Amino acid sequence: MYGFHGRLLHIDLSTRQSSWRELEEARLRAFLGGIGLGTSLLYEFAPPGVDPFAPANPLIFTSAPLVGTGLTTTAKFAVVTKSPLTGFIADSLSSSHFALELKRLGLDALVITGQAASTVYIYINDQEVEIRAAEPLRGKSPCETEALIRSELNSPAVCVAAIGKAGENRVRFATISNEGRHAGRGGVGAVMGSKNLKAIAVCGGRETQVADSKGIEAIADSLRQRSLGSLTDKYRKIGTVANLAVFNRLGTLPTRNFQQSTFDHAEALSGESLTEHNFSRRHGCASCTIRCERLFKALNGAEQRLEYETLFALGPLCGIKDPEVVLQAAQLCDLYGLDTISTGGTLSWAMECSEKGLLPEAQDLRFGEPNALLAAIPLIARREGLGALLAEGSKRAAVEIGGASLYWAMHVKGLELPGYEPRSLKTMALGLAVSPRGACHNRSGAYEADFSGEVDRLRADAGRGALVAASEDFAAVLDSLIVCKFLRKCFTDFYGEGAELLSKVTGWDCSSDELRRIGERIHNLKKLFNMREGWRSADDWLPERLLSETLPTGVAQGTGLTSNELREMLQGYYQARGWDQNGLVPEKKLRELGLTLDRVQVVQNVPIVQAG
Amino acid sequence: MSPVIVEPVKRNASAVILAGGKSSRMGRPKALLQFDNEPLIVHIVRALKSMFAEAVVVAAPEQELPPLPALLVRDEVAYQGPVGGIYYGLKAARGEFGFVTSCDVAFTNLSLISYLTSQIADYDVVVPYWQERFQPLHAVYRRSVLPLLKEQLERGELRPIFLYDKVRTRKIGEDEIRRLDPEGLSFFNMNTPEDYEEALKRWERMRSSLTCTVELFGAARLLAKTREVSLALPQEATLSHVFAALAERVPVLVGRVINSDGGSLFSGYTCNINGLDFVRSPSARICSGDKIFILSADAGG
Ligand code: SF4
Repeated sequence: MYGFHGRLLHIDLSTRQSSWRELEEARLRAFLGGIGLGTSLLYEFAPPGVDPFAPANPLIFTSAPLVGTGLTTTAKFAVVTKSPLTGFIADSLSSSHFALELKRLGLDALVITGQAASTVYIYINDQEVEIRAAEPLRGKSPCETEALIRSELNSPAVCVAAIGKAGENRVRFATISNEGRHAGRGGVGAVMGSKNLKAIAVCGGRETQVADSKGIEAIADSLRQRSLGSLTDKYRKIGTVANLAVFNRLGTLPTRNFQQSTFDHAEALSGESLTEHNFSRRHGCASCTIRCERLFKALNGAEQRLEYETLFALGPLCGIKDPEVVLQAAQLCDLYGLDTISTGGTLSWAMECSEKGLLPEAQDLRFGEPNALLAAIPLIARREGLGALLAEGSKRAAVEIGGASLYWAMHVKGLELPGYEPRSLKTMALGLAVSPRGACHNRSGAYEADFSGEVDRLRADAGRGALVAASEDFAAVLDSLIVCKFLRKCFTDFYGEGAELLSKVTGWDCSSDELRRIGERIHNLKKLFNMREGWRSADDWLPERLLSETLPTGVAQGTGLTSNELREMLQGYYQARGWDQNGLVPEKKLRELGLTLDRVQVVQNVPIVQAG
Repeated sequence: MSPVIVEPVKRNASAVILAGGKSSRMGRPKALLQFDNEPLIVHIVRALKSMFAEAVVVAAPEQELPPLPALLVRDEVAYQGPVGGIYYGLKAARGEFGFVTSCDVAFTNLSLISYLTSQIADYDVVVPYWQERFQPLHAVYRRSVLPLLKEQLERGELRPIFLYDKVRTRKIGEDEIRRLDPEGLSFFNMNTPEDYEEALKRWERMRSSLTCTVELFGAARLLAKTREVSLALPQEATLSHVFAALAERVPVLVGRVINSDGGSLFSGYTCNINGLDFVRSPSARICSGDKIFILSADAGG
């Protein structure tokens, strides 16, 4: 087999057994790798209705066909599990040398189930699996953990993915970290913590065979060239932090828990200003020519990675205007292994509750209050005091506090909203409402239509449905090949070029239509998983605040979004997807996508499926 | 001129305009050149009076000037160069410090002047450094330097820069200047009839046109080292006029953000008008007062 190894490794931490299993080519062709393969394995390995923290919930790491080919931006892996935040699919990507080494183990997927009796880490050295004691690593940051494991194994070649204190304490939005980057959203780190698994260390030696290495080289060269052109200027010259000033000016910068979409102090926090005053270093994921990462200097001398979502969530969303405070807050999140978006989202919810008298025990926690913000983050990671409530995420915390606090919890399906104001980005509003993993800006790029002039971003219409569906399918392919989304604009014909690339890697004769179909299939399977886990129409919805209040400031002042408008867009979306009007996937669609029925378990009349 | 600002009058500050310089290359008195339908000196005094508590005009002993809303002082000794003018002007001024300029500068950029005066707090002199030269006649001086200027005059040191080593001097670099005056029009002195012609043409262009503001974001802002540029464009202007005018004003953008044809953007960039419409077509029409954002074509991500 080319491009893949055709095998998965299953490790059961309860029994300490591991086994290798074949992955059939048909399945790989149906779902590729990354998020696609991860979704299909989640469907298979997760018992229906499993508690995300139960030993049976699988934590799945997948590689992908383009990993290891040297193609720019492809050193990525996916982590898929059932999310403790949403109860639906959590599918996260991350990028580092860990991705390359994972594939060099000679596998396409690593499935971890069970629960160790005490804290352990897994060491996979080529074919050998060791489960090693990790009690002394408890409480260590992911970075420290990586270094300690490398020195314990006395092997600098070992790559490590680890959780921090937040993961150990099952904070529902904990991350899995590798080389300072994170599989960030949906609480994959908490699932890892629930298995008493502190880290995974890998060291492999198996190269992937590709069908046409010369052909790939030519495409790789061309993509490398394109990745250095004007289309990636933003990422190369300033990084995603560039979004902040633009979003503020466009009235799309969520501020003070979505009370506003502009921030008075945006200029001080802007990427341009950070670049001018705090820039320290540019960095990139392994195998990347774009290198969008920016490290900034904090006053305490430390270098801190910052990208737009972190900047927005720990800055304007919490009313914080001092870049220094944002840098320190981001440092803390990295130290403990916390998703910065959900951290900011949950804290801004708490700030609003506190200001409006609903959280008397957290009186200092107010918008724009730096000390309270910085003090709260360690409490969350340790689940101490107020942190125990906030570690549950805004949805559960609001249910606990009740009353008006429910209205201030800004999440979809339990996942806190990213830094895109839905009222002034109507296509994105729909994208956020329907995303299988909850409010997500990565598994679709619905905002692209809003930012392109293709549609009127301030108005809603049913036509957005097709745009969102197309964007989701596109992302599903990107995330399963895997190619970084920041390279996406460099393709002139993504499906055509992607199919050619995939054919040269795998030796399959893959057409652009087939690739499109794969994207659609993957997305449908995510939805099917959610349906199996209890998805209801009401889950494809936005927080009430967004449907009740209009924007008070900026160029989009006065703009709102009504329930009827959202309903109209939802109907347009379900129709574009070929789903029924309640958003359920009909059998006809399954057949169309070549999903065969297997191990039939009917939930809401939708059979469990497996790839054919 | 750009960008228009509303600044509170600076109570403790005076504007000092040196009108007594020689006009030999111009062939006629510079202060009396017609500009904006009035003598240049009137034009300058009017502009500066909107910002400073008083204006002091320093003229040569016999120089003829129109009536001015300013305190008029005469050089005690003719042609002692800029140091003499600065000295006599500051001596007569009542403010704690004075912004000193000459009477041959047509394009008064109040934003830049405001910035210069804002920097004086911990200094004695604030002086721009443009194209590798100090600009002593577009600088702010604290009155406390008077004794030193007097000594200089007595010693015959007629160049102001001798002062800068002796006092707390804040040098304003080109980067700082460009943020407010990308082309350095503030330092455009009219010395010859050709300079005058050029200034009139520019002025005419600015008046008979619509004005719009380009707001730069991301990589474009970092390159231009300025956040905003005001442009005067012909009526009926389109986006391609905007790009061309911007290319002329901020040449560093050419070949990076603006295509070398000057009339379109590179593929990595896009335009948004007034925060509402994303437009790439260079033929899109512009209205007066429009705010044109130039940003990454990949917003989001
Ligand atoms: S563009 Fe940025 S996120 Fe994407 S692979 Fe490169 S460094 Fe990583």
